[in-house]
Amino acid sequence: MIVAADHLSKWYGQVSGLNDVSVSVPPGITGLLGPNGAGKSTFMKLITGQLRPSKGQVRVLGEPIWGNPGLYQRIGFCPEQDAFYERMTGREWVTALTGLHGFDERAAGDAAARAIAAVELTEAADRKIGSYSKGMRQRIKLAQAIAHEPELLILDEPLSGMDPLMRRRTVKQIKEWARTGTSVLVSSHILHEIESMTGNIVLINNGRIVAEGDVHQIRDLIDEHPHTVSIRTTQAHAVARELLADEGVVSVRFEPGGLIVETARPDAFYARVTDLAATGQFGPIHEITSPDDNLQAVFRYLVKQ
Amino acid sequence: MSARPVPPTFATGAVRVFSLSLGEMLWSRRTVFLLLVTGAPVFLALVARIVQGSGVVPLRVNGAAVDGGSIFGMMIWVFFLRFIVPVLGVFYGTSLIADEVEDRTITYLFTRPIRRGAVLVGKYLAYLVSTTLVVLPSVVLVYFLLVPLGQVARTFVAFAVDLGLLALGLASYGALFALVGAALKRPLVSGLVFVFGWEQIALLVPGYLKKFTIAYYVQGLVPHAMPSEGVATLLQSVLRDNPPALVCIVTLAAVVGATLWLGVRAVESREYVLDQ
Repeated sequence: MIVAADHLSKWYGQVSGLNDVSVSVPPGITGLLGPNGAGKSTFMKLITGQLRPSKGQVRVLGEPIWGNPGLYQRIGFCPEQDAFYERMTGREWVTALTGLHGFDERAAGDAAARAIAAVELTEAADRKIGSYSKGMRQRIKLAQAIAHEPELLILDEPLSGMDPLMRRRTVKQIKEWARTGTSVLVSSHILHEIESMTGNIVLINNGRIVAEGDVHQIRDLIDEHPHTVSIRTTQAHAVARELLADEGVVSVRFEPGGLIVETARPDAFYARVTDLAATGQFGPIHEITSPDDNLQAVFRYLVKQ
Repeated sequence: MSARPVPPTFATGAVRVFSLSLGEMLWSRRTVFLLLVTGAPVFLALVARIVQGSGVVPLRVNGAAVDGGSIFGMMIWVFFLRFIVPVLGVFYGTSLIADEVEDRTITYLFTRPIRRGAVLVGKYLAYLVSTTLVVLPSVVLVYFLLVPLGQVARTFVAFAVDLGLLALGLASYGALFALVGAALKRPLVSGLVFVFGWEQIALLVPGYLKKFTIAYYVQGLVPHAMPSEGVATLLQSVLRDNPPALVCIVTLAAVVGATLWLGVRAVESREYVLDQ
């Protein structure tokens, strides 16, 4: 097992962040799925050694992680927060962080260049991070996580802020890393994202593991609930006209900078939007996001079962 | 997958963090504050020089003209040692870890194969270099603005000692407040209370309390003769009670070593919860 939690709990004072969680994560890609506030971030912080368990224990790659910095040589972590040394260029930042793994300057530079190329940021590598778009910032975060070629990649909401095409490429890249032997634990609040990477998921809500295993059973449940998707585009009306022709689309409403679509067939819908973005027929589609409401509905259903 | 390098030692890790942090620290908003603080005595020295150049004596004590060397000594003591050095120590030292936590960039450093303590030490070294790089040139400017060229040869050794003790002061205050920043939740308030509350009171109260301040040992190393009469002398006689130089140096070195060690312990055992 790459991650093993045994009766793991974490309290922030009187508030419970994670409650008696026992879970084993196998090698390969595993998705950690849950709405915001479900305990995903707490779990991620515990398995990356940023927090100490209040109760129970967690082992990563067979070793305890808290107070064990040597283990980070084998782990790459892409955090959720959009935080950087803004004045550094992408290359300087990734090189400096890779240097903290013991690489000499030249080797760190080479490793950083490979990682930056893997996330398709070579052309922007010598620009200051402060000038990057949100999607580019996500990708440079991924680069710093993979540069030292870890055995285990822990990715906290890695696709957040990426445009549909870059999402597709990043999903492909994550699967490629897994194919070459890197285990990946990836968190998201969007089932579709997780599903595009792996069939193995862990569902978390209210600080507890609600279910774990094959995604397909969960998948059937989510289709019963209308799925809301927010699309950021400059040509909202044209995109809306195109999407309304789809069978699964229940409603469309406009908002500043884009539109919100409710669909009964999220799978087909996401594929359709990605194809639209690829053709460029209706201008750029900057971002697609899915609010927590979809997943909350499924969790409420699961908890009732 | 290529061969993994050996994880950095504590010292190598600290040096790598130092390299990463130095540029960030030098080009931060805090540097503007640093330049303003260190620019004030330069401005005053420039004014004194202009006044002096116009034939007017810039400072008199009991009717006697105070020469440039003595004015420089007073500025070192009043501006730099009693104000600039402790203030920089508080503002930079307490923020070494706190800034990274506030900016939520600490994650990138704490998920590397280096000890968290090495992060603190690396950032402390970056603080020391960046503040020294700004403070010492300011002192050099003040010196050459105030001290006539004819007195340079006679006062140069004292001037060199000034530079050394300012660096030692920055090291001592920075290390103490690095510990405060690593261990306490409201480090800035605690630091300001220490510098402008505790140190001021303890230095005025007769007895041994002043030995629990950093200012007591830093001031013990000040080489200048102060103006010999008047309020300044009276204040000096109250505030200055010179311990031997060796005691000062050893004590300050011990403060740096002990507080850094405690800071390393604190940062390695404490959880830092980031705001989402």
